[in-house]
Amino acid sequence: MLSEHTIPSDYDDEGDEFIDFESYYSVEDTDLNGFKDDSDFDITSDMNSDDESGSRISFLISTQDSENLGKKSSLSGSEERGLPKLNYNCLTTDQIYKLMLQRMENLQPIFNIPLEDMIILLQRYGWSEERLLEQWTEDMEKVLVASGLRTAKHDKIKRGIKLHPNFMCHICCESGEKETFSLECAHEYCLDCYKHYIQDKLPDGKIITCMNCDLALRNEDIDKIMGDNSSAKLMLSSIKGFIQKHSNHYKWCPFVDCNYVIQVGNISSLSEFPRFHISPYVICDNKHKFCFQCGLESHAPGDCQVADVWVKTAQAESANLNWVLKNTKECPKCGVNIEKNGGCNHMTCKSCAYEFCWICEGCWKDHGGSYYECTRFKKEDKNDNVESKGSLRKYTFYYRLFSEHENSAKLDWNLGQTVEQKVRALQENVGISWIESQFLPESIRALIEGRTTLKWSFPVAFYSDPSHNLTKIFVDNQFLLVNAVEDLSQLLQIKEPKKIMEKKLDFYNKARFVKSRENALIECGRDLLCKGICIPQK
Amino acid sequence: MSSLCLQRLQEERKKWRKDHPFGFYAKPTKKADGSMNLQRWEAGIPGKEGTIWREGVYPITIEYPDDYPSKPPKVKFPAGFYHPNVYPSGTVCLSILNEDQDWRPAITLKQIVLGVQDLLDSPNPNSPAQEPAWRAFSKNVKEYERKVIDQAKKYVK
Repeated sequence: MLSEHTIPSDYDDEGDEFIDFESYYSVEDTDLNGFKDDSDFDITSDMNSDDESGSRISFLISTQDSENLGKKSSLSGSEERGLPKLNYNCLTTDQIYKLMLQRMENLQPIFNIPLEDMIILLQRYGWSEERLLEQWTEDMEKVLVASGLRTAKHDKIKRGIKLHPNFMCHICCESGEKETFSLECAHEYCLDCYKHYIQDKLPDGKIITCMNCDLALRNEDIDKIMGDNSSAKLMLSSIKGFIQKHSNHYKWCPFVDCNYVIQVGNISSLSEFPRFHISPYVICDNKHKFCFQCGLESHAPGDCQVADVWVKTAQAESANLNWVLKNTKECPKCGVNIEKNGGCNHMTCKSCAYEFCWICEGCWKDHGGSYYECTRFKKEDKNDNVESKGSLRKYTFYYRLFSEHENSAKLDWNLGQTVEQKVRALQENVGISWIESQFLPESIRALIEGRTTLKWSFPVAFYSDPSHNLTKIFVDNQFLLVNAVEDLSQLLQIKEPKKIMEKKLDFYNKARFVKSRENALIECGRDLLCKGICIPQK
Repeated sequence: MSSLCLQRLQEERKKWRKDHPFGFYAKPTKKADGSMNLQRWEAGIPGKEGTIWREGVYPITIEYPDDYPSKPPKVKFPAGFYHPNVYPSGTVCLSILNEDQDWRPAITLKQIVLGVQDLLDSPNPNSPAQEPAWRAFSKNVKEYERKVIDQAKKYVK
């Protein structure tokens, strides 16, 4: 028995390995096509030939591909200008596991052990075949023992489930007629204890061993004991661990309830993006767009630094700010924040002695004498000239706009749900095909993306030098995008299917207009960043 | 407490009373109302003959969690116990007591106390749990041995 950490720790070694799916999938690549004919590369060509399951995988979405697919990309047209681009795949954990299994089948001849045992070996080595192969060639027996695939003494006992008329289980200490399980090590325990034990271990994603020694249970043993395909859960946990460990190559889509994983092939290009003040955006198969660098949603026109500083400031400031926004009002005259902690609506500002009504924020003199009721409409916010009054006020102003657009984008998500119904209504009532009705969800996507860009343009505006001409142009661009977005938003409120079809061209045009305004704003924002006019700082 | 945990602990107690290694003791503690608390044991680990630990019998407490035997028990020396792999709180750092490492549901009380006895004279310098004993053990063996022998006098057999 050893004290902690003395066990060989090769499992924990940080590696930079990742699966190079590209070599199996980039069918378009002419170089690889050349290799495929070469008999030396039979592994690759095998992979390519029996690779029907990969048809769902969107491989190598380059900027050009995504444009062809009608996808939007902030990198559109970036190639000509020598900007870096990211090659990536969108996968599910299932697909990743299947790809691993396929590779295993190719490795099997080298190892000459059953596939089930291969799975255990790779689990032990964190799915890194390089490390496994290295150790394997060094000392095969050691690898087998360390992975729990060999008993010290080679017993002739067969692994599996048996029925005993009278059995005393040393785990639960119950005796009677029992089904039991044991591996070749002959450590035999009742099936119920094994079920408990396995259930506990499934989320860990590590090799499950005998309850007494290091001998490993195979997936088929696990399924036999549990009576279902629980081993799939174990494999899923294991793959999740793998993804977590190789987070520089793999990232989960950060959107709620989205299970896609993005795998990037050329991560070395990641370091090139900050230089151009652009971010490596990726789009999962659910059309969620996020930044592979910082894991946030699309935050153009800001780069990762703008987003980072803004989010951190917002976190630090939000507790205060939310309280102030929720519980206070500004004095209509001097702008000081006032908390109303009781009493009637007749307020007297302590700082400037202005008397006003708490409800309508109007001057008390013109208000009449009703102290507890106000029937007047609330006046329009006078936010327009706030900008110049102190940094917190400036920040509050931008933060408000930011969160307003955030909320609107959330509402648009909901709108997206109803659009689905509209589409169905269109198909049923007007009798048009699915393809023809796709302009609706596409418009909604344009709307949400437009809003997201708008939202993130406020941090850029906040950190930019307001006196600079380019900042003014940026603000003008913002204004144009606001209008474009609102126009489109209004159009999407139409409920009657017939009217929607009549306006089909309108939808197209307005969505396209939003996109082009958006690109203009993003380019302008990048200009601000590149020229050092926008400098994010706390 | 789950019935599985209780049943197993009763069996552990039975087995211990029938047979246990020489020089060791282990018994469940008593609750405030006088009844037996099977989830918390007190035990004594004698130092091995021929080692600097031989003079003492070192008291430990063994706490079994509700999900024992899926999860390992927690073994503690008195706080401040002088040993490289014992935390300042007294908690023992041992691979067979670590759920993520070598804990197996089949490991018995006997194996645990023997494991702890082994650890006394063969500390693992690669996983230090406290600074004074670890530093002395790896840098100044004389001082380490003196301190261990001093400590043994406190827990003399």
